Amino acid sequence: MNMIKLENITKIYPPDIKALYRVNLHIKPGEFVSLVGQSGTGKTTLVKILIGEERPSQGRIVVGGWDITDIGQAEVPVLRRQIGVVFQDFKLLHRKTLFENVCFALQVCGEPSSKINNIVPQVLKIVGLENKMRRYPLEVSGGEQQRTVIARALVHRPKILLADEPTGNLDSINADEIIEILQKINKFGTTVLLVTHNREVVNKLRKRVITIENGMIVGDQAVGKYIL
Amino acid sequence: MFLLSILRVIKFSLQDFWRNIWLSVVTILILVLALLSVNLLLVVKVLGSTAIDAVKEKVDISLYLRSEAPENRIFTLKDRISGLDSVKEVNYISKQTAIENFRDKHKNNQDMMLALSELGNNPLSPSLVIKPKEVDNYDELIVSLNTIDDQIIESRNFDDHKAMLAKINNITDKASRAGLIISLFFVLITVLVVYNTVRVAIYTHKREIGIMKLVGASTWFIRAPYLISGIVYALLGVSAVIIILYPLLSLIQPYLANFFSGFEINILTYYNNSFIKIFGLEILAVILINFLASLVAVGKYSKV
Repeated sequence: MNMIKLENITKIYPPDIKALYRVNLHIKPGEFVSLVGQSGTGKTTLVKILIGEERPSQGRIVVGGWDITDIGQAEVPVLRRQIGVVFQDFKLLHRKTLFENVCFALQVCGEPSSKINNIVPQVLKIVGLENKMRRYPLEVSGGEQQRTVIARALVHRPKILLADEPTGNLDSINADEIIEILQKINKFGTTVLLVTHNREVVNKLRKRVITIENGMIVGDQAVGKYIL
Repeated sequence: MFLLSILRVIKFSLQDFWRNIWLSVVTILILVLALLSVNLLLVVKVLGSTAIDAVKEKVDISLYLRSEAPENRIFTLKDRISGLDSVKEVNYISKQTAIENFRDKHKNNQDMMLALSELGNNPLSPSLVIKPKEVDNYDELIVSLNTIDDQIIESRNFDDHKAMLAKINNITDKASRAGLIISLFFVLITVLVVYNTVRVAIYTHKREIGIMKLVGASTWFIRAPYLISGIVYALLGVSAVIIILYPLLSLIQPYLANFFSGFEINILTYYNNSFIKIFGLEILAVILINFLASLVAVGKYSKV
């Protein structure tokens, strides 16, 4: 069984811009996959399709055994609670503390406060933010913000973690820390899909690499390198 | 779980209200200005209606009687007219009262007083002053009066009154129509101001709405805090209006009483009697506008 299965996925934006063309992709549970490619090649479109933000023009998509090809608007929040997502621009709520940002992901699901107060400090400890949880996002560094985002993505204990350019706004030290955390999460059994164009990061990982160019998959190596 | 969500939504709403205090203050301030305008318009409308009623109250018809008419027949006629459906009250002005009123009215007019003394006797006729129940039913009253046949009636020419009343009705109708158009225009502006204020307030949360959707918040969970905020805005806004309006009305009331002297006008009493109706409607209207604005704005910004 695959954790992520894309069959002939095509995404066309009006009038006739092909962001993705006949993409076939299978990712097994527990895999750590890097999706690489230059800017504008369709990587982010693929992420948007995986989280239900965009619908494919053609093809079929199954995530964790759930066919989300024609997912309804009301089901999107349910899908997003099962996939952890990390973005380049962090996407934290600036008027909530780091603790509240992580809590929020559980509160929207209606989780009881006792459970939230138990889990959130643990997750923040995993990403090394146990001493800064009462601070607001703008009071901490970019690396710490990104670690908060990872913590928020983890609180649901997701089967899949999508990281879209998570090191894009970070210096090399912070970037390494983030990749280490992603690897640690992967070791716990979570499937990680890392979308990046950071050659150094990909080469250091020595994991599966899928290369995308002009909306099409042009390479898939079990232990790959950044070849573009 | 639903109750927990409700409590969380209220908590987020109040937290957001406090953490965005300046935006909240500005929103409430605009709301207060808009509501004050509506209340000002209401005061003007109440005063206008009172002025129109005051003018209508002054309208009466005098039925002049023969000078030699015996009082017992006059009183019989008075009772007969008082019994008409369209009559509010009938006052008898005797010859003596009429001349006293005339003298009093023209006491500063030497020529008039001289002419009166030269006549020697009282030239004025007794009369019955009839007040209609409704000024609008004036025609009906005239028809009824014309059907009364009594030898003691000297004059029953009501044409002047009819023309005057037609003018009054014309003016009051126009005033009502103009008032209605101005009110609608004003209310429309207020609705647009409040609607857009709420939309702008939500627009500043555009990024946050997107993030909430990305972490799996349902549209209801995103929208509900704005609805709660709308209720808080409405309650605080209307409370502020009440606090500002009452001292203001107390200040202008003596001037109004003086201006409308002789007529019962108390704008404070009007507001006290209609407190729930006026401010309850204003709260409901603000909540409704806020609901519509947040429905459109959140819907627009949460499409991720």
